[in-house]
Amino acid sequence: MRNGGDNRGRLLFISLIVTSLFLITLDLRGVQVLGGLRNGTQTALSPLQSVAATVFRPVGNFFSDVTHLGRTRGEIEKLKASNEKLRQSLINRKNADAELAQLKSVLDLAGTAKYKVVGAKVISLGSTSSFTQTISIDAGTNNGVRQNMTVITGLGLVGVVKISYPDSALVQLTTDPAFRVGARVAGTQQIGILSGQGTNKGVLQLLDNRTTLKVGDVILARGSQNNRPFVPGVPIGEVSKVDNAAGAITQTADVKLYVNFSALSVVAVVIGAPQADPRDALVPKAPVPTPIPTVTIYAKPSESPTP
Amino acid sequence: MFARRFLVSFPIFLVVYVIQETIVSQFRIFGSGFSLFLIFALLWSALGTPELGALTGFGAGLLMDLSQSSSGPVGQWTLIMILAGFSISYLGYGDDNFRGNPISLVVIVALAVPITRFIYLILGLMFGGELGSALHIFTSLIASGLWTVAIVPLLMPLVTRIHSGLFEDMSRG
Repeated sequence: MRNGGDNRGRLLFISLIVTSLFLITLDLRGVQVLGGLRNGTQTALSPLQSVAATVFRPVGNFFSDVTHLGRTRGEIEKLKASNEKLRQSLINRKNADAELAQLKSVLDLAGTAKYKVVGAKVISLGSTSSFTQTISIDAGTNNGVRQNMTVITGLGLVGVVKISYPDSALVQLTTDPAFRVGARVAGTQQIGILSGQGTNKGVLQLLDNRTTLKVGDVILARGSQNNRPFVPGVPIGEVSKVDNAAGAITQTADVKLYVNFSALSVVAVVIGAPQADPRDALVPKAPVPTPIPTVTIYAKPSESPTP
Repeated sequence: MFARRFLVSFPIFLVVYVIQETIVSQFRIFGSGFSLFLIFALLWSALGTPELGALTGFGAGLLMDLSQSSSGPVGQWTLIMILAGFSISYLGYGDDNFRGNPISLVVIVALAVPITRFIYLILGLMFGGELGSALHIFTSLIASGLWTVAIVPLLMPLVTRIHSGLFEDMSRG
C-alpha cells in the first residue's frame, strides 16, 4: 500500500478475502443459514417492493416506452388512430384496466388449456447489476406457488419460478441466458431446445438433423415430466430467422418471443396442469387480413356529340 | 476505529440498498439500467483509505449477495466488492490532486462499475453460470458506464458531504 500499508491493513484485507471465500464455500455446500438470510431479506423487502411498484411503475413504464420507441414506431402509428377513442374511457382507470386486460388474457389462455393458475402482480424487475433476467411477483408459498412452476401471460411463456417465498416468488424469465426449455414446433411436432439470450429473442436448436424449420413456425413448450417445471402447450414464440449454416449438425433458428418482457405487470403461475396435453390448442390465431373492397365502375360511352 | 466507521456507514448503505431494491429496480431502461447501490458503494470507497475501501466493499458486497435477484452464491459479490473497494481507494490514496478533482472521480467510478460487473460475470462463469448473448453483455457493460457518468455528478455532492462530515467529525472526536 502506498501510504497506509501497515501490517494491520494487510491483515484486515486478507481476513475479508478469506471471509468472502468462506461464505462462497458454505453457500456452494448448501448451508441453509445463508439461504435463510436471503429469504429473510426478501420477506422484509417484498411489502416495500409492492408499495414501490404501485407508486413507481407508471414512471417505469414511461421510461420503458421511451427506450423502445424505435422498435414500436410502426405500432405507434396504428395505436394513434384508436388512442383518441380510448382516452376518455381509460383516463381514470388506465392502470387498473391494463392489468385487468392482461389478467383476462392470461385466464383465457389458461382456460383453453385447462391450466389451474394463480394470478400475480409483478412487484420488481430484478437485478440491474448482474446479468440475470428475473422478476419478483407478489404470490408465494401461501398462494400455492412452489419452485419450478410455469409462469405465463396471455401471450405465452414468461418463465419459471426459481425461488418461492411466503408472499412472493422470484421468476427466471425466458430471456435469461441460463434459461432452457424443451420446445416443439406446432403442427410438425419437431422437438428441440430453446435457450434465452438476454434479449427478446431465443435460440431454438432442433434435436433431429433430418427436420427443417421455416420462418413463421410457432414454437410451443413441450412439457416436462409431471408437468414441472413446464406444462405442455404454452406458446413461446415464432421462428424469425433460420440458420442454414453448412456443416451444422442440427438446424438452429432465432425465435421471436411472444411476451413483451418490458411491459409485464400481471402474470399467472400454473399450479395445476390438465390431464391431457392441449397439443396445438394454444397456437395464436393468425391475423385475418381485412378484405379490401373493390369498386367496379362501368363506363358507358356517351353518344357522340352531334356537330 | 475501522469497525466503528463501518458501523456508522452501515445505516446509510442500508437506506441506499432499500432504495435500489424497491425503487430503482422498478425501472427497465436502456442497457438494463444502472445499479445505484453499486455506484454509491464505489464512490464511497474512492473517498476513503484502502482499508476502509475494502471494508466498505465487504459490507456492500454482503448486502448485494443478500439481494433476492442475485444469481451467484453468497460471497461472490462480497469477494468482488472487497477487491473493487480496495482497488478504487488505493488508486487515489494520498493523491489530493486526484481525489479533489471531481472529473477524475467520475471517470474512475465510471470505469470501475463495468469492470466490476465484468469480473462478476467471469467469476459467475467459473461457478457454472451462463453467459448469454455477447452483444447484450457488451451493451449492458457500456450502458452501465454511461449511466454512471450521468449519475455520479448528481450523487457526488451529497456523498462527499456525508463522507467528509462523518469521518472528519470522528477524527476530531
